[in-house]
Amino acid sequence: MSLAKPAMRGLLGKRLRFHLPIAFALSLVAAAAFKYGVTEPRKQAYADFYKQYDTTKEFNNMRDAGVFESVRPTGE
Amino acid sequence: MTHASVFRGNHKCTTMRTPLASRCYSHAKVETDEEFDARWVTYFSKPDIDAWELKKGMNTLIGYDLVPEPKILDSALRACRRLNDLASAIRILEAVKDKSGPHKDIYPYLIQELQPTLIELGISTPEDLGMDKL
Repeated sequence: MSLAKPAMRGLLGKRLRFHLPIAFALSLVAAAAFKYGVTEPRKQAYADFYKQYDTTKEFNNMRDAGVFESVRPTGE
Repeated sequence: MTHASVFRGNHKCTTMRTPLASRCYSHAKVETDEEFDARWVTYFSKPDIDAWELKKGMNTLIGYDLVPEPKILDSALRACRRLNDLASAIRILEAVKDKSGPHKDIYPYLIQELQPTLIELGISTPEDLGMDKL
């Protein structure tokens, strides 16, 4: 029972034509997933934190904790 | 000699499989598969081919996006015979098996087609010699 002649040309080209668009699409999906799953929530968290941030109050807390060299705590 | 363009599929040639040595923007004559095969059979049929030309030819051929036709391999094996190079003959068989990649039906077909040549020239396959196992 003799074997039929298989396809022997262009095998890599065929494989790449199939897989590369998929690989490209999946890479874009991965990048989009990371952007909207990680970086955007992170940026939003920072934005939310600093929206209600009272710089003067926090400065005075830090000053009284004694962490600055340029200003001494109030009352010294 | 033009080398294989892996990406033969673009807007003009996506559905049909274009021959090996073709670029879709060139005005050069496109070489058919038969012309390609004939050219390589002729290359290895040179009576006074030397060892360098055999190796160069095989390396170039293996670089293409195809598994060589049995008639090309037959011509190459006969060149090995003229050069008394059994090692290269067996290496050629190993190379085409590797070129087939995941397509496991190609190598058995090639061995089937080359069987008369292998017997005539007394070439053992890597499987006969147990060289296909690690």
